[in-house]
Amino acid sequence: MTFISLRIEFSGGLELLFSNEKRHKITIPAQVPVDNNPKVDGPRNGDTKAADMDFLIHWLREHLLKERTELFMENSTVRPGILVLINDTDWELEGEGEYQLKDNDEIVFISTLHGG
Amino acid sequence: MSESCGNPSSQTDALMDRRPKFDRNKLCIKCKTNTGNVVIRHAVYCKECFPSMVVVKVKRSLDPYINATSDVPRRKALRASGNLLIAFSGGLGSTVALDLISKIYFPDAQNKLNGEHPRGGKSHPRNKRVWDKGTACYVEICNAFPGMEDKTAEIRDVVESYRYLEFTPLRLEDAFDKQWWKKVGGNPGRDIGIDLNNEELLISELSSEDSNPVQRLRSYISALPTLTAVHSAIQNLIRLLLLHTARVSESSHLLLGTNLTSLSISLISSISQGGGFAVKEESFEEWSTGWTKDGASTPAVIRVNRPLQDVTLKECAVWVWWNNLRVVGRDRSLGGRQGIGALTRDFIVGLERDYPSTVSAIARTCSKLAPKFLADGTCALCQRPLQRGIQEWKARISIRTIADDQEPSRNTSAETSLAPYLCYACHTTLTSRSSRSAPTSTSTFPLPLWVHSHLRPGCDAQIDGNGRDEVGMNSLANDSEAWERRKVDREGMKSAISDFLLE
Repeated sequence: MTFISLRIEFSGGLELLFSNEKRHKITIPAQVPVDNNPKVDGPRNGDTKAADMDFLIHWLREHLLKERTELFMENSTVRPGILVLINDTDWELEGEGEYQLKDNDEIVFISTLHGG
Repeated sequence: MSESCGNPSSQTDALMDRRPKFDRNKLCIKCKTNTGNVVIRHAVYCKECFPSMVVVKVKRSLDPYINATSDVPRRKALRASGNLLIAFSGGLGSTVALDLISKIYFPDAQNKLNGEHPRGGKSHPRNKRVWDKGTACYVEICNAFPGMEDKTAEIRDVVESYRYLEFTPLRLEDAFDKQWWKKVGGNPGRDIGIDLNNEELLISELSSEDSNPVQRLRSYISALPTLTAVHSAIQNLIRLLLLHTARVSESSHLLLGTNLTSLSISLISSISQGGGFAVKEESFEEWSTGWTKDGASTPAVIRVNRPLQDVTLKECAVWVWWNNLRVVGRDRSLGGRQGIGALTRDFIVGLERDYPSTVSAIARTCSKLAPKFLADGTCALCQRPLQRGIQEWKARISIRTIADDQEPSRNTSAETSLAPYLCYACHTTLTSRSSRSAPTSTSTFPLPLWVHSHLRPGCDAQIDGNGRDEVGMNSLANDSEAWERRKVDREGMKSAISDFLLE
């Protein structure tokens, strides 16, 4: 099974939900279940797809998020008010959840709700 | 199932294609050469063009209001009549506002700090300061609630990174502090308080034992009937503290960090709390200081502007990220997660993600609204325009049950009631209970010190002696129509309308 490495950064107060650590380096499988189930490790059975942002969000919730899921996720995507940048580009230009992750991608999650 | 809709489970073509969030392609709509980095209301901008787009929006919002008269559109002719006060909360919007205002309107100071010479020379009109002095003011609210962190030191660090701006820290309890009130030119007289358990908000003298401003602030907040009222009251206290500070610092402009998203939130939230009469003031207001400058015939006016009113929350977040700015953050839990403010925020932020233009439509629509009638003075508490006859109107439209032994108060003199001096929103803030909130046991609660002055114009000659639109306690009673409310039995009601009944 192949893996891809990603650099993750949380900002705007979102880091408080992730052990108060702004920067994380993670490794996720290159092929993931179509239902975005992040709990399955090892060889996958059933339908798979290339790892995408939808899967990453579920993976972060399962493995890095420490508290208050509702402040990070809503309806299987990030909560409104969280800006996502993929390699310094708005994820709305990259297909949002459907963007297929590549090795060494840098993903930034910025909360706009911490203080305005 | 209808053929036109199809069956999504068996016919994949029946699913509607996901629409991209941008209009044309991924190229920047401004330079048309670079690949875009951010989508703002369906338009794509690259990292190079984004800053100038934001700067243009800020200048477009602020420039027409800088000169005392708005007939001078050019940058080089901009000259304010006083100093500048920037409200800084440490939140996202005010962090961006502070950064942008310093870069746009104090570039010479920034260049000087960097050891650079201003373009065109020191005496070039472009390099003349728009405001002589700039001050950033922060209101610390930690004493309002036990256990809150004091962020003044962190805020000071951020403001002092703009070394040509002065820093003025305030505390929320200053609104109840006689020393502060004297410092800003007020004249604290005897202490008065109100009874929040009575809708007439009867005024009585307050015991002087409770003289600690923090205790007074906490009494005031704890007496408010709902979390929505707490949030709204704190916003009002901050706003008035800033306005009075702007007055003593001889500022002609007070700039707030309200962005387009938060403006839409505050507009909807304010209207839903009964602030519709002053909806215009949510986006722009001119506050009469009551002080007349040498040679001027009218009292000085402070303009309250929101330079980010066309800049969305997303643009603010991108600005902060790409400029590597530090956001201290502020506590958002004041109004509770179920308060009107928090619920409106959740709704608008969700709306902005899916329909970003709708959020600007809210602000644009509200900017066209105007009250049907002229204001009748200003509200004693929030000092925004006061609509005449609010209490009578409220009494006419309200359905309420009055217990047999609770006769409505007759001949309630204006000398003892605060209600006639409050706008609809403030009266509702103080008196509208939720179904779960119980009446408070304590009888009298303190009021912010400017309320005292509003009710006693003669006492504060320094502030109110120059023709400010204040009302004496008796004058309003004399000018108003006399209304009396009393309970009438069925026979009495029938006889009152007997001439109009068909036999």
